[in-house]
Amino acid sequence: MAEEKYPINLWVNEERYDKLQKANLADMCAEKLAGMKVIQVFANDAQKDKILKVFPTAKFDTATTRSIELLPKKVKDAIFDKVIEKQNPDILDDFLSAY
Amino acid sequence: MAEIGHGGKEIVERILEPAEAAEKIKGLKAIPIRSQIANEVIDISYGWFTPLQGFMNKADADGVCRSTQLADGTVWSIPIIFDMTEAQISDYGIKEGDTVLLTYMDNPMAIFEIEDIWSYDMEDMCQCIFGTADQKHPGVLRTCGYKEKFLGGKITLVNRPKINPPYDAYFIPPLEMRKKFKEKGWQASVVHQTRNVPHTGHEWLMKGAWAQAYGGLPIEKPIVGVLVNAIIGAKRKGDYIDEAIILCQDELRKSGYFADYNHMTSLTFWDMRYAGPKEAIFHACIRVNLGLTHHMYGRDHAGVGDYYDPYDAHRLLQSIPKEKLNITPVYSMNWLYCPHCGEITNEGLCGHKKEWQKFSGTLIRSIVMDGVKPPRLIFRPEVFDLVMECAEKYGFGSPFVTDKYLENRTPVFSIEPLSA
Repeated sequence: MAEEKYPINLWVNEERYDKLQKANLADMCAEKLAGMKVIQVFANDAQKDKILKVFPTAKFDTATTRSIELLPKKVKDAIFDKVIEKQNPDILDDFLSAY
Repeated sequence: MAEIGHGGKEIVERILEPAEAAEKIKGLKAIPIRSQIANEVIDISYGWFTPLQGFMNKADADGVCRSTQLADGTVWSIPIIFDMTEAQISDYGIKEGDTVLLTYMDNPMAIFEIEDIWSYDMEDMCQCIFGTADQKHPGVLRTCGYKEKFLGGKITLVNRPKINPPYDAYFIPPLEMRKKFKEKGWQASVVHQTRNVPHTGHEWLMKGAWAQAYGGLPIEKPIVGVLVNAIIGAKRKGDYIDEAIILCQDELRKSGYFADYNHMTSLTFWDMRYAGPKEAIFHACIRVNLGLTHHMYGRDHAGVGDYYDPYDAHRLLQSIPKEKLNITPVYSMNWLYCPHCGEITNEGLCGHKKEWQKFSGTLIRSIVMDGVKPPRLIFRPEVFDLVMECAEKYGFGSPFVTDKYLENRTPVFSIEPLSA
């Protein structure tokens, strides 16, 4: 059975969308929940556990969405900037290596 | 006419008028209490906790632990207990048969007639109530943090709390609530238990429960209502601030997503124990006292983490006969967004399972934290605007609980000097 992956939802506000357009990455956005743009960065079990340990306000929504939520905005901004830098959402190992 | 509450007992407000109170408290030892106990003093005195007349003695607490009932057989699922250290009891010179004065915010609050001083194996209590003694469970942590001795006995309020704005309009004790239901002509009423700012998933939970509660009742005129009963108590960092919760719930009515004739918002003071199924029973007891006929239960009601199966609460509720717990549970399936339907729908209704997009209060909080305004199908714009207004007005710039909010917020209620 494939290992479960847990999304971190980077909801795209105007400021983030401008950055994506400038990097020619606007197509990376998916559309969710009646028109909101989002980039999903996926964590495996080990990465999820590390995120929840390093950022104690974060919460794994076990009941409904099985996503990692409530990361501080500055952390999500840093993850978002890393996605832009690498032009790829597969950046969590790189991002977490600093912690 | 007497109002009959949970367990078939009359709801009686245990409150003295100021002149009598001033006389009765003369010479009593003053014992300061913390906010949890002050909340429970209010709940006891106004009848939210009927048939309890005070804090539990050992027989009641043990009955709750062993068989989810008080010593007289009334269904009850959470111990309501008053703790003190042995040293405090000794220092105050307290013994069974004494009457003391409980104070809060340095002012007189209630008379406590101490009938029983007892102790208990707290790990055992946790196993019975929470199904675990794991201190990572917030209810276990709270319970194991209690002092080693417990005092049982009757409570009488001597000083009504001053409920501060914006909460004052939503403090509706059981006897007053029952009058309001009669004025509105509600023959059935379903409660939405919440600690959240409402998104449209919550809104549709309420609307679905309203329809379920309507059942076979006649429809010529509106006779069924939804009562939002927000739990106001201890806060954790990252929760929505209380002001946003209570005002945004009411905003659904004010903005017309509900109407005056079918929706009302209120509060109950209570520090959540996150006891899942046992807390579901407890919520039912207090809502019986408020006069409700139906109680909504979604998945994992009052649960936390992975401690309970999502439907444990439903199963426990189903095991209790109506004559023991006089409220009809309304079990709610999840509401979600289906892009194919282009609307909020219910997992029991919609056939586009592969396309479903589930959302939760936690997910919506993340969206708000990211600085994104969700579309009106997901989060009503009036509610979003009010959340942001509350952040500025009450939350020191944040709609979520911060250290600054915890330190500087206006208390929900105050106990002021007793004026005879």
